[in-house]
Amino acid sequence: MKFSDLPILPTSIVGSYSMPHWLERIKGDYFSRRISGRDMDDIYDTAVKAAIKDQEIAGLDVITDGEVRRDNMVDYFVERFPGIQIDRSSKKYYYDFYDMAVRSKLPTASLGLVQDYTFLRNFTDRITKFCVTGPHCLTKRINNQFYPTEEALAMDLARIMNLELKALVKAGCEIIQIDEPYYSGFPEDLEWGVNVINTLVQGVDARIGLHICYGNRYGKPSWEGSYRYLFPTILKAKVHQLTLEFARRGGEDIELFKEFNAPFNLGLGVIDVKTEDVESPELVAQHIRRALEFLPPENIKVLTDCGCFHLPRDVAFAKMKAMVDGAKIVRKELGQG
Amino acid sequence: MILKLNHLNQKATASTQALIEAVYAMVAEGQLEKGQFARLQFELDWIQYKQNFRDVVTATQGFTNRCDVPPPIMDIHIDTRQVKPENLQADLCRALRVAGSEMAAADRIPLEDYKSMRRSIVWEFNKFYWRHLNAWEQAAGQGYDQALPGGGSDGHNPKAIADDVEEFLDLLQQMKQQDKLPPEINLLEIGVGSGSRCAQWLDQFEAADRDRGTGFYPQTRFYMGDYSDDTLNKARPAVARHISQCEFIAMDAANPIKALPQLRHKVMQVHLTNVYDNLPDEEVVRRDGKLYFVQVRAFVPLAAAQRLSEEYDVPIAQFHDRVLRMIDEGFDQFGGPRRGVPFWMELWSAMRLEERLVRLEDLPEFPFPDGLDADRMEDILQEAPTDFRFHLSSVALESFVRTLPLLHPQGYLQVFDIFVTDMAQYRTGFFGPGKLDGSLLNWVNGALLREVAHREGYDVHFRPFKYRKDTKTSILYTTRRD
Repeated sequence: MKFSDLPILPTSIVGSYSMPHWLERIKGDYFSRRISGRDMDDIYDTAVKAAIKDQEIAGLDVITDGEVRRDNMVDYFVERFPGIQIDRSSKKYYYDFYDMAVRSKLPTASLGLVQDYTFLRNFTDRITKFCVTGPHCLTKRINNQFYPTEEALAMDLARIMNLELKALVKAGCEIIQIDEPYYSGFPEDLEWGVNVINTLVQGVDARIGLHICYGNRYGKPSWEGSYRYLFPTILKAKVHQLTLEFARRGGEDIELFKEFNAPFNLGLGVIDVKTEDVESPELVAQHIRRALEFLPPENIKVLTDCGCFHLPRDVAFAKMKAMVDGAKIVRKELGQG
Repeated sequence: MILKLNHLNQKATASTQALIEAVYAMVAEGQLEKGQFARLQFELDWIQYKQNFRDVVTATQGFTNRCDVPPPIMDIHIDTRQVKPENLQADLCRALRVAGSEMAAADRIPLEDYKSMRRSIVWEFNKFYWRHLNAWEQAAGQGYDQALPGGGSDGHNPKAIADDVEEFLDLLQQMKQQDKLPPEINLLEIGVGSGSRCAQWLDQFEAADRDRGTGFYPQTRFYMGDYSDDTLNKARPAVARHISQCEFIAMDAANPIKALPQLRHKVMQVHLTNVYDNLPDEEVVRRDGKLYFVQVRAFVPLAAAQRLSEEYDVPIAQFHDRVLRMIDEGFDQFGGPRRGVPFWMELWSAMRLEERLVRLEDLPEFPFPDGLDADRMEDILQEAPTDFRFHLSSVALESFVRTLPLLHPQGYLQVFDIFVTDMAQYRTGFFGPGKLDGSLLNWVNGALLREVAHREGYDVHFRPFKYRKDTKTSILYTTRRD
């Protein structure tokens, strides 16, 4: 399938699929040195295939690898930067964050993400998306003992990650999503955060989405508030799509897109990932119709509010199905079904 | 034979010595086989509750459905507070004789079959007590609060409330400075009872808010939760002055989020005082690397039942059915509370629990409370003592994990209660169940709550309740994990 073949209101999860309980247990065993790295890789491959298949069966238009290889959205990346020093004894459970520090300038190095992307590409014919945690979020987790400012550290992370994004594109990746949940906790960083994003995506020839939520750590929000803080600064971000959570918070902020004539597509969060209550397709359709009051259908992509990491697999699957069916209802109403 | 002295109360030294002598005498007199001797574990506890469910000596037999496993263990518990050394041998012999049998011994009338403590009829009695609290208080001549160890609820301590209000205002001011204050400042108290703490808290908050000039009071919504509309209606007058800030929510303390789904992630403070210690619980025993689940059977000693039978015209053959009828229907069969309540009080006082230990052959299949599973339990036990008995705090745990989703990202849960804060503490004493008037009381396994909270994204902390000397109350509070 080609990108241009996507229907209007294409559906996708933000990134992570459900982390199965059995895989959590195995991750724990690996962490406790009871499983070899080789076996763990094999298990991950199998889990990714299962996550891909679930997304396909649910009917999603854009597929991710479910991020089941990742312990959390930070460690998966920071472990790949040679210059970041990690205290391996600092976390009790796999999902905890490592304590980590930067004590010298980060060297340029491949992060090895292409391998994981290629695996995804090889196991689905649908359009694929690869998600990366943004430099601002990573910076907030790293004890910076070298760079003069957080911005300087984030810029250097962006410089290195930019090469990796280009490598992903070279490997065939058409959609890249950058996750920056910490903007909502540190709105005062937004000005430099956007500059960092623009460095990160410079020359990256893919559809770039920027996902900003209010946090999903342990399946709970880390902050609350309004997306108004993003505007107008966010308009300077050189991205194609802004993906925001609306299902849990309500859709009041959607009007900001119209108010500021935002030059991006809207990644519309229609599935609340912080509750196990499964939305009806009609509720999903209502969320989409609400967005259509402010934006044309070709500018709206239909997504979950955030990753489904904390949801049980059956719930995550049912929510994806509801999202797909809800999008179908509206497509039909628009004469596109 | 293993002898465990679970306390250091010096008044118990005589009974410890007497026990050794009694056991040797039993072996010498053929009342105890040498093979049995090796499987025995004696635990000597100083039972802090004057009223509890244990006989002076209780034998708890291990039980398994498998025939290919070695003979089961047996624990013998001795209440060193009540034991009389001269009766010890006879008490031991009687306890050993009746232990673990599916058929109840002739010296007692069972009120149920063996079952999980959480499902035991004693919790029906607990509910019955709260339903008929006024009748009990009238007959007892004192209110529930007065029966508490400190003569009143720690939740009502004015200094504790004042400090809490100041800390809460600090938090609100900080959030306001960061432009993170939500439009509505929601608070929830679960188990408001008379409403007296809510009233004190709101009085204090209103005054402190005025003094600081912060103006938060009009934004405040105080959700008052208790198990029935009747109870809440009784609490209304207490908060009459603040009625426009209050909402009254009939709720099951075991599932707060179910009652308040609209407040998910929106509550700044949830408070409970002495609620967790009164929620259904069950216990697990770890012995020789194996886990056993404690099953209980409530009974009334025959002598007590006969006395009640004569005094209240309850034929002994109908005793069990008449007790159940009282729980279901109240006191009509006794012609009303005047005769019914004394029957109930005497029955409750006489009621005991016999126990057996059921081997947990298949941990993953065990019906753990929400928030806990076999994997997490194994993780927790890795760092716990190898030989001990502990509470699962089942419904408290469920209440806890079903409360956390209510919290605003900057919100916190605050619980005044009696907590075991370290699993190893369980080796140093008896932590319930006890009786407090007509209700039940268990220490809460705070160590378990802390572990479960970790997975839910919260750190749990305990601090001593500094407002009353010699209190056993401590304060649990949560902070968000990063």
